[in-house]
Amino acid sequence: MYKTRRGGRGTLGAIAAVLAAGAAYPLILPRSLNFGISVVLFAALATAWDLIGGWAGQLSLGHAAFIGLGAYVSTLLWTKAGLGFAAGLPLAIAAGVLLALAWGFITFRLRGAYFSLSSIAVAEVLRILANNWSSLTGGPEGVSFNDLPPLFGLDLFDRRVEYYAALLLLAAALLIAFRIGGSRAGFYLEAVREDQDSSMALGVDPLRMKLIAFSLSAALTTAGGCLYAVYLSFFEPHGVFSLDLSVQLVLMSIVGGMGTVLGPLLGALVLLAFQEAFRNVFQQSSLLIYGVLIVLIVRYAPDGLSGRLQLLLRRIPWPLRSPSAR
Amino acid sequence: MLTGGVYAMVGIGLSLIFGVMRIVNFAHGEFMAVGMYLAFVLFRSAGLDPYVSLLCVAPAGLLLGAAVERLLLAPIQNAAEHAPILMTVGVGLILSNVLLLVFGAHPETIYTSYSTRTVRIFSITLSLPLLVSFALTVLVVAALYLVLTRTDFGRAIRASAQNRDAAELQGVDTRFVRTAVFGIGTGLSMAAGVLLLPALYVFPTIGGIFTLKAFVVTVLGGMGSVVGAIWGGLLLGVVESVAASFGATGSRDAFGLVAFLLVLLVRPAGLFGRSRV
Amino acid sequence: MRAYDRFRLLSLALCAVLAAPLARAAPEPIRIGIITSLSGSFATFGAMEVAGYKVAAGEVNEKGGVLGRPIELLIEDDASNQNAALAAAEKLVNGGVPLVMGAFASSITKPLGGYLTRVKVTLLNTNSADTSITKPGSPYVFRVGQTTDAYADASFDLIRSFPDLKTVAVLVSNDALGRSTATSVKDKCKALGYKVVGDQAYDRGLTDFRPTLNSFKSASPDVVALSSYEEDAATLLRQAKEVDLSPKIFIAVGATGYALPQFITGAGDAAEYVFSAAPWRPEAKFPGAQDLYKRLFKMLGAEPSHHAAKAYGGMLAAAEAIRRAGSTDREAIRKALREVKLMTAFGPVSFDAAGGFQNQNPAPSLVIQVQKGKFAVVWPKESASATPRYPTPPWDKR
Repeated sequence: MYKTRRGGRGTLGAIAAVLAAGAAYPLILPRSLNFGISVVLFAALATAWDLIGGWAGQLSLGHAAFIGLGAYVSTLLWTKAGLGFAAGLPLAIAAGVLLALAWGFITFRLRGAYFSLSSIAVAEVLRILANNWSSLTGGPEGVSFNDLPPLFGLDLFDRRVEYYAALLLLAAALLIAFRIGGSRAGFYLEAVREDQDSSMALGVDPLRMKLIAFSLSAALTTAGGCLYAVYLSFFEPHGVFSLDLSVQLVLMSIVGGMGTVLGPLLGALVLLAFQEAFRNVFQQSSLLIYGVLIVLIVRYAPDGLSGRLQLLLRRIPWPLRSPSAR
Repeated sequence: MLTGGVYAMVGIGLSLIFGVMRIVNFAHGEFMAVGMYLAFVLFRSAGLDPYVSLLCVAPAGLLLGAAVERLLLAPIQNAAEHAPILMTVGVGLILSNVLLLVFGAHPETIYTSYSTRTVRIFSITLSLPLLVSFALTVLVVAALYLVLTRTDFGRAIRASAQNRDAAELQGVDTRFVRTAVFGIGTGLSMAAGVLLLPALYVFPTIGGIFTLKAFVVTVLGGMGSVVGAIWGGLLLGVVESVAASFGATGSRDAFGLVAFLLVLLVRPAGLFGRSRV
Repeated sequence: MRAYDRFRLLSLALCAVLAAPLARAAPEPIRIGIITSLSGSFATFGAMEVAGYKVAAGEVNEKGGVLGRPIELLIEDDASNQNAALAAAEKLVNGGVPLVMGAFASSITKPLGGYLTRVKVTLLNTNSADTSITKPGSPYVFRVGQTTDAYADASFDLIRSFPDLKTVAVLVSNDALGRSTATSVKDKCKALGYKVVGDQAYDRGLTDFRPTLNSFKSASPDVVALSSYEEDAATLLRQAKEVDLSPKIFIAVGATGYALPQFITGAGDAAEYVFSAAPWRPEAKFPGAQDLYKRLFKMLGAEPSHHAAKAYGGMLAAAEAIRRAGSTDREAIRKALREVKLMTAFGPVSFDAAGGFQNQNPAPSLVIQVQKGKFAVVWPKESASATPRYPTPPWDKR
C-alpha cells in the first residue's frame, strides 16, 4: 500500500518550476547537452512507466518493448519509405498503443505477476524478431542513420533541438500524470490497484482503467523511443529492447516514488547524476548499488524518496500548499 | 530433450514458491548462477566433483533462500502485490552483480573426466552429464512428491498453499512454512545449477536466461503445480530441440516465449494448474 | 654589507627565485581522450585496450614524447553502456582533447562516431568489429583493427592453398559479428566455387550445439567455418568431438573466441588443428612482436589478447599523426592521420579508402592454428612462424 500524491496547485507550481529550470538548462550549460538530454528523456520515460506501474499497479518489466518499437518503426519508416518524423512519429505512437491494447487485453485479466512475466516475454520476443528479421530491421547490426529530414524546419540532430523535444515529452508526461491524479480516473485507478474486487463492486471497470493507463504510458514511451533513436543515431536490438533498460525505468520510479507526479523525475535525476558523478570511481558497482537501493527502498521506504520528502515537506507550513489528499 | 529435465528442476522450485507464497521469484535464475559458481569454486580449489559438492551446495541454497525470505520478504508480505516482485528483482540484481565483481564477466567452465562422455542407448547418443542430471532430477522430484504427500510437513505446505488463514487456524506455522518453502525452492535452483555446470559454462548474467526459461516452464505447466512444472520442462526442452533440428536455431528462444504467451492467452492456468488466476 | 650590495644580492636572489620555476617548467602534456569499458560486461577487453594504450604511450614518452611534450591519457569509463559513453565523450570534447580513442564495443562506438562527427572531433577506433563503422563510416572515424572482410580474405587464401576442399558448412553466433562473418563466407564461396552445405546461426545462451553439429555431420563438409564468442568456442569443439564431426579443417573465420588463449585451456585436445583468423599473435614476424608481448604481459599482469596489440598500434598512429600535424589542432590531426604509414610490432598501420571503406587500416589478417597445444601463425607466409598442418585427422584417429 502506498499513497498516491495527487496534490493541487502546489504540484502544478512544482511542475512549472521544473519545466522552467529545464528550459533554462541549455542556456546555462550548453556543453553538457548529452547528459541533459539523457536526464530529461529518462525522466519522461520513467514518468510514463509510472502511469501503468505506479498509478495502476501493473509492474511492467518490459517497457523497453515500446522504446524499441518506437525506435524501429520511426527509423525504418524513414530509411525504407522515406517518411520523415512528421508522419513517422504518429505512426510509431499508433503502433505502440496498438501493442499496449492487445497485450493489455490478454494479460490484464490475470494476476499482476502474469503481467510482469509477460512483459519480459514481449520485450524478448520483439528483440528476437528485430534480431532475426534482417531484411527489414538490419538484424543484429542494428540501424544507423546520419540524416533525417528537418521537422518543421528544425535539424533533428542538433542537440538543442533534441533537448527541447525531450523536454516537451517530459512536460506531456508530467501533465498527464497530474491530470490523472486529480481526476476521477485517478481515483478509480487507485481503487483498482488497491483492491480490484471491491472496486468492481463500486462499478469500476478495471480492464478499461488499466487499458487507458497502459495506452497513455505506451504512447509516451514509444515517442521517447523515437527520440532516443535520434539521440544515439544508432541502435541495435539488444540495446533498445534490453531488460536492463526496462529495469532502469522501474528503478527510477521506485527511488523517486511510485504513484507520484514528480517522483519518477526525481528518481531519474538522482540516479543519472549519481551514475555520472561516480562513473569513474565506483565503476563496477553501479548495478550492484541499484540492486541494493531497490531492496532497501522496498523494504524500508515503499513510498520512495519522494514519499519521504513529502512527509518532510508536510511538516512545513507552506502558504500555498493544498490540503493533502489523504 | 535432456536439458528439459534440468529446466524442470529449475521450474519446480519456482512453482513451489509461487504455489505456496504467491510470489514470483524473479531472482530464481540468479540463485542458480550462485549455485554454479559455488560448484565451480569447490571444484577449482578443493577438486570436489560437482556431484559431490551437491551435498554442500543444496543445503547452502536452502539456508540462503531461508535467510532472504526471513530478512527481506517476510517484512513486506502484507505490502502491495508488486512489492515482492520488486524485491526479488532487486535481490537478483545484487546476486548477479556480486558475482560479476567477484568473478569477472569471463565465462568459466570446469572439465571433468566425464564432461564430454556420451552414452549410447538404443542407438541414440546421449550426453552423460545431462543424463545423470536428468536421473537426479527424477530422484529429487520423487523425493519431493513423497515429502509433500506423506509427511506432516508436506501436508502443512499444501495446506498453506491452499488457504493460509485456514491453515493457521489448524495450527500450521505458516511463517515457518513460507521460509522453508522459499529455501527449498532456491535450494532446488542452486542444485540444478550444480548439475548443469559440467555440461555448460557459467558467467554472472547467465541467471537471467534461466529465470526466463523457468517462467516459461512453470506457466506452461501451470503455476503452482509441481507435476505441471515437470511436464512444462520436458515440453520446453522438446520444443527447443525440434526447433533446433529444423534449423531455426536463431529463433529458438522465441518459440518458447511465443508458446508462453499463447498459453497465457488461451489457458493461463497452464496444462495442470488449477484455475486460480 | 653595504646597503647597495645588499640590494644587489636581494635582487639577484629574487631573480633566481622567479627564474627557477621557469627553468623547471615541464612541457605541457598532450592529453589524448580515451573511452573504453572499464566496468560492465566488456571490462576484460577494456582492460586489454588500456594496457595497449599505456605501453604505447610509455614507449613514445621514453623517446621524448611528441613535439617535445609527453603524452597523457585521459581515460573515461563507458561502463559498457551507450549513455555513459556519450556523456564521457562530451566531457572529453569540452576538455579540449585533440582526438578521442575508443570504444571497445561496436554498439558503443557507433553512437560515439555519430556524435563526434557532428562536433568535428576525430574518433580513432582500434577494436570494434562492425563493418559499418568504416563502411561507409565518416570522415572523422578511423579504425586500426582489421575488418571481417580481411578475416574472410585471409581464411580463404589459406583454404585455397589446400587441395580437395569442396564443401563448406557455416555455423555462426546470431549477432552482428557472426552474421557478417556468415555473409562474407558465403560470398567467398560463391566467388570461388565452394558449395555451402550447412548454414546456421545460433542465439547467445545456447549451450547444446549437438543437433546442429549432427546435421552438419550428415552433410560431410570438408570445411567447417565458425564464428562464436569466448564462452562457446571451447564448448563447440568439445561437442564436435563428442558427436564425431570430422571435417578436413575447422576454421574460425570470425576469430573471436578461437583466437584467445582460453580456447586452448578450455577445449583441451579438442582445440588441436583448429585454424582461426587472428588480428595478431606474438609469434608473427613483425618487428618487436615478441617484445611487445612481454611488455603487454607486464603491464596487464595477465595474458594479453590481440585487442591490446591493436590498441598499441592505434596509439602509435595517434602520436605519429600529432607529430605530422605539428600541433594539437583537431582538423590538422585528422588530415595528418590520413598520411600515417607505420610498421609497428602490431603490424602495418595506415588509413585507406578502398572497397567502399573510409579511413580503414587495410592490414591483412593473420591465420593461426593450434599446434601441440600452442598457437602458431601459419598465414601469410611472410609473417608465419610455422607451416599449416593439414588435413585434420578424424577424432578417433588422434
